[in-house]
Amino acid sequence: MIKKTVRCPSCDNVLTFFGEPGQVIKVTCPKCSAEGKITFEKTYTPENTAIQVSDLRKVYGDLVAVDDISFSVKKGEVFAFLGPNGAGKTTTVEIIESIRTPTAGTVKIFDRDISTSFNEVKERIGILPQEFHSFERLTVRETLDYFSKFYKKRADIDEIIKTMDLTSHKDMLYKTLSGGLKQRVGVAMALVNDPEIIFLDEPTTGLDPKARREVWEVVAGLRNKGKTVFLTTHYMEEAEYLADHIAIIHKGKIIAEGSLDELVNKYGQGSILHIKNCSTKDALGMIRERGFDAHTEGNGDIAVKIDYKERVLEVLSILRHDCIEYDSIDIRRSNLEEVFLSLTGSKLGEEGGEA
Amino acid sequence: MRPKIILVDFVASIKSWYRSRGTLFWSLLFPIMLILIFGAIFSGVGDTKYTLPIQDLDNSSWSHTFIDTLSNISAFKIENLSVNENVSAYIKDKNLAGALVIPKGFGDTIAKSFIDKNVSVNVSFYYDPSSSSASVIQSVISSVLQEYNVKLSGGNSIIGITQMSTIGKNFNYIDFFVPGMIGFTLMQTCIYGSIERNTKYRKDGILRKLLTMPITRTEWILAKMLFMLFLSFVSTVAITIVGILVWGMTVNVNLIMIVIIIANSFLFSGLGMIIGRFVKEEETADMAGGAISFPMMFLAGTFFPLEQMPAFLQSFAKILPLYYVNEGLRNAMIYLDFDKAMFNMIIVIVFAVVFFVIGVLLTKWKED
Repeated sequence: MIKKTVRCPSCDNVLTFFGEPGQVIKVTCPKCSAEGKITFEKTYTPENTAIQVSDLRKVYGDLVAVDDISFSVKKGEVFAFLGPNGAGKTTTVEIIESIRTPTAGTVKIFDRDISTSFNEVKERIGILPQEFHSFERLTVRETLDYFSKFYKKRADIDEIIKTMDLTSHKDMLYKTLSGGLKQRVGVAMALVNDPEIIFLDEPTTGLDPKARREVWEVVAGLRNKGKTVFLTTHYMEEAEYLADHIAIIHKGKIIAEGSLDELVNKYGQGSILHIKNCSTKDALGMIRERGFDAHTEGNGDIAVKIDYKERVLEVLSILRHDCIEYDSIDIRRSNLEEVFLSLTGSKLGEEGGEA
Repeated sequence: MRPKIILVDFVASIKSWYRSRGTLFWSLLFPIMLILIFGAIFSGVGDTKYTLPIQDLDNSSWSHTFIDTLSNISAFKIENLSVNENVSAYIKDKNLAGALVIPKGFGDTIAKSFIDKNVSVNVSFYYDPSSSSASVIQSVISSVLQEYNVKLSGGNSIIGITQMSTIGKNFNYIDFFVPGMIGFTLMQTCIYGSIERNTKYRKDGILRKLLTMPITRTEWILAKMLFMLFLSFVSTVAITIVGILVWGMTVNVNLIMIVIIIANSFLFSGLGMIIGRFVKEEETADMAGGAISFPMMFLAGTFFPLEQMPAFLQSFAKILPLYYVNEGLRNAMIYLDFDKAMFNMIIVIVFAVVFFVIGVLLTKWKED
């Protein structure tokens, strides 16, 4: 049980609630009847933690690639490591996979320090390295079979082929596959030992939107099976679509971390309700009177900031009650793009560069 | 170390190999083509000048005339050999293709032949069977002798020629060439195989993937070496069979030959690892491999005997590992000179240990 103290956004009343880690409860302010949502943060214990990274640092000459970062990945969640190219994503994930040696800091997987016990962990993880290409002249089936033979614990290869939707390609040589199929085989290869954690390093980079979406479905399927997924990406959409928890890495540092909702509420503008083509004079004043943060936008539109979704109804009732005239309304939630922009002052481009 | 894992990788390597037309071509068809082409070319004639020492045991006016006739042939540079010289040893020391000995009684026999058409005398042609020039020299001498016989007797064989191989058996160029071809092919296979594993596999993430899997470096290296040995023996057998069937070679298979082939695989796999360590791009590493293996191929006596090269290149050849592989294989398979074969084998083993150990030590799986 966790105790959480919050301040009512409408009347500033201080309230205390109790809940379980990860629980989300609906609350009503006893003083002003404002409604809202409280999330109790997950706490990390050795039992529910898959990966724990503490004060990790990696220096190449003068370049600090990873700058003292710490974070935890909970079992069963899709953890997205989001950031532009060169931010330190791959360096970090490759340190966690024991491919690189850190300058300082520790990494624990299942509470085991990988600098000494990585061999014990190998059977329980599966990896898709960045820009991976498998052996060109083995078929899909042979490839999966080959990689599975190294492990004590083996998943049913035919089952993997089925879930990855590779049945019609299983006898094709790897080199004849399209980019999207190669990535799917890559993910399938990471599953041959039925691992508990799956590391996917930029699994959709270079894929067309359709192939990208296919990989997403695969990753979403892994989460549904209770696997922990560590995903690195520079695609905002990918993190929004897949991740339970997002860490934004920029110039070697984690600059923000949390669920999509948390990030958007904390660093974005939250949700904005647009009233299009509002022709009633002083409509803005009427809305502001009720305690809303609102402003006009050049073309006669009014933008109203919505702190939590229940307040949408309040705005609608103002519109109706005060007979305000307008063409239409829409609600737009701010996204990771805005979060990234407000955090770094730059945009993250399609190719992973900053603009 | 788990033999099962080594076997799994070995089987996968073989599958990939026979599905790749490129590697099949380079490891099997290309060397066979070269044997056929070079065999055909060198059974013909060259046009260089050959040094021909002549030992005149007769020292008569007839023998002097004969030597003068040979001197007039532009292809020959005649040297006079003193009567005390051991001809075989001289050829070996000076790295010559052959030498001629005019026996005592040469002049007398010719003088007699004007009366008795049935007398005959043979000059002896000592030659190095490994030299592609020997047969050329001999054919020129034979045609001179034929001309003599026609002039002296209208066609009776008064002067004949006895072949005296310095090794004692009749060998020709293809006998020299085939072991060199084996050494060269195995070198190429192992260097490029090793380079592929250390550059392409690194770029493709396969080495990174292996690092995170329950396979040790020793298991991986052993699996790959097993495959390299397999390729080496397949190439050796294919080349040898063509040599026997097409060129009628006699080949001896023995332990020394097998040990040299095994050591050779380790030697050049090690060299490939060393190249792959310093040249990280696959294409550039392939070029570096070519830059090392091609000159080595020409300088180490693969296609033609060292004695046809200038002296400084001959001494340079002695530091090239492929030279000892070639010489060892020749002596073990063809000349059956087991002392020499053993000597070369030991040198190849030493090279193999040094290159392979350095290669393994230099090769890192981990990224920086």
